[in-house]
Amino acid sequence: MIRTKVLLVDDEVEFASALAERLQMRNYEVRTASNGLEAMALFHESTPDVVLLDLKIPGMDGLEILSNIKKFDPTIEVLMLTGHGDVASVQKGMQSGVLEYIMKPIDIDELTSKIDRARKKKEKG
Amino acid sequence: MKNILKDLRHPRDLFSISATDPYKSLKIRVILLDAILSLIPLFIVVTTSYFWFQSILKEDYRSQIKWQIENTKQSLDFFIEERVSGLRFIASAFTYEQLSDRKTLANVFLKFKREVSGLVDIGIIDANGIQQAYVGPYKLEGKDYSNQDWFDEVTVKNVYVSDVFMGYRKLPHFAIAVKRELPEQGTFWILRATIDVETLSKFASAMNLGNKDDAFLINKEGVIQTPSRFHGNVLEKLSFPLPGSQQGATVQEITDSSDACTICGYAELKHSPWVLVAMIQSAPYLKIPRIFKNELFFITIISIIVGIIVVTRIANTLVNRIQEAEKEREDAIAQSEHASKLASVGRLASGVAHEINNPLAIINEKAGLMKDILEASEDQSKSREKFIGLINSIFDSVSRCRTITHRLLGFSRRMDTAHELFDMNDAIREVLGFLEKEILFRNIRLDLVLAEDLPRVMSDRGQVQQVLLNIFNNALDALLEEKEGTITIKTTVNDQKIKVSVSDNGHGIPKDKLKKIFEPFYTTKEKGKGTGLGLFISYGIIKRLGGNILVESEATKGTKFTIEIPTTSTSE
Repeated sequence: MIRTKVLLVDDEVEFASALAERLQMRNYEVRTASNGLEAMALFHESTPDVVLLDLKIPGMDGLEILSNIKKFDPTIEVLMLTGHGDVASVQKGMQSGVLEYIMKPIDIDELTSKIDRARKKKEKG
Repeated sequence: MKNILKDLRHPRDLFSISATDPYKSLKIRVILLDAILSLIPLFIVVTTSYFWFQSILKEDYRSQIKWQIENTKQSLDFFIEERVSGLRFIASAFTYEQLSDRKTLANVFLKFKREVSGLVDIGIIDANGIQQAYVGPYKLEGKDYSNQDWFDEVTVKNVYVSDVFMGYRKLPHFAIAVKRELPEQGTFWILRATIDVETLSKFASAMNLGNKDDAFLINKEGVIQTPSRFHGNVLEKLSFPLPGSQQGATVQEITDSSDACTICGYAELKHSPWVLVAMIQSAPYLKIPRIFKNELFFITIISIIVGIIVVTRIANTLVNRIQEAEKEREDAIAQSEHASKLASVGRLASGVAHEINNPLAIINEKAGLMKDILEASEDQSKSREKFIGLINSIFDSVSRCRTITHRLLGFSRRMDTAHELFDMNDAIREVLGFLEKEILFRNIRLDLVLAEDLPRVMSDRGQVQQVLLNIFNNALDALLEEKEGTITIKTTVNDQKIKVSVSDNGHGIPKDKLKKIFEPFYTTKEKGKGTGLGLFISYGIIKRLGGNILVESEATKGTKFTIEIPTTSTSE
């Protein structure tokens, strides 16, 4: 099975690096970006299957990244990570095509199952 | 007390002593002011009518005296006239010769005496003033009256009534003389009778007088003619002058040196030289008839009592209204203070949760990575197992923290409020479904008093159910082991609001704790059993749905939570 390509966008480097490493240990191919520009660059470069997107990203608003990604590839599945209680943006995200949102701190097994589900959905779609 | 009185300067000082409670003091002030305002006119009316009535009575009394004096005067006039007419009749019926005969005169005297009282003697006097015949207790035959004033007067006037004089017996008398003209002979003779004054004084005493009053006769010179009780003896001069005489009776007031008011009434007699005088000192009108006085007193007392009752009622109502309004205002302020306190505490809590949550996520990932690495390594040392154990306990702690931060964030976030129409009773039954087993197991009595005609609610069903679950759970936790537990759930609808009340007969919440139950991290449950966030979050949810959550509780008796949800929820 081809490894799932995951793009993790989070400004919290410590969090992102640890999570990326854990996902890689679970056989995912993970790239991390800590701001909007970086995220867009990596997105174009690596064409990920699933994007894990934190809402509050410096440089570019999480929702902006989301719409840019969706514009570029409408079939891409995005999972939202959130450490804050900003429900308005979660709602907007859901409306803009986010598949699911996950509250931090995350449970790794829950996350992997959601990533897998997202990938399956993308392949079907 | 002495010191207090010494320090008093103003009535309000008295109020401040009598009532430190401002409402009580206000009440006293209102009562006093109202009472003064309403009782002053009453007193004025009562006093005025009292004196008015007294003056009417006085006037009445004066006219009564006047009337009595006039009556007595007429009686006296009649008395004297009767005697004068009698003598005239005798003088005309008999001749001088007949009457000069002592036997005939005695006969006439006896008959006359039988007819008129008070007759003392009778005599016949010739033109020379010599008493020719006399019948009476004295030996006066042959007495010469020619040089006496009355003889001249009767000669001129034909009739003469004398002043009172002391007779030979030292008893007061008066005399009546009538002249009989003998024109053929060019001479005349005089018939003279003496009358006891006692008869006259009987008339005066026949007046209906009090024991301070006096009635007597005086002559025109002011010499007392009949016995007086207080104003001197017979033939003494009256100590004060009488005002000029008028036709009929005159009544006027004399104030003497001792300031005692005397009503003086007098009337001149017609055929005699006398004036009837009545000195009235008793003043029955001063003693206003008891009935009137009693009635006035009774009416006044009743009015005062009614007035005071009404005034007190009014003051009570007024002050109570003010007090209630004040209390409502204070309650509203306290409630809004409480609400804003909870809101700011909520913001603080969610702020902290935000800040804690990201480091917590990092801890979680780092620990997770450590665990992953350890599990992936070939190392079989003891310390590996120990590390994994330690990491797991980090996970446990993170998980506990996450529960709290997620709940707090859940509260502070404006949750995804999905409004839908639902039936509150169904929602309650559904929630109870989760608790069915526990209720059965613990043998708890559950009373459902659900209104059947409940309108459907447009609100967030999930969140309402979350609140209901929380409150039901609290009720279950509050029930005691030793007592049969009862939970009553009641729904009612009132004014576009659905009320759900949940009462238990559990341990209740003491008053001092009741205030704090909606605050975050406040719990009365055992350590580890509750996070202290349930009611805090429920409060936030209900407020957000435009409703209200209320609690009543009494320690050891039980607690009642009431949720009010508007039927058309206007989410903030």
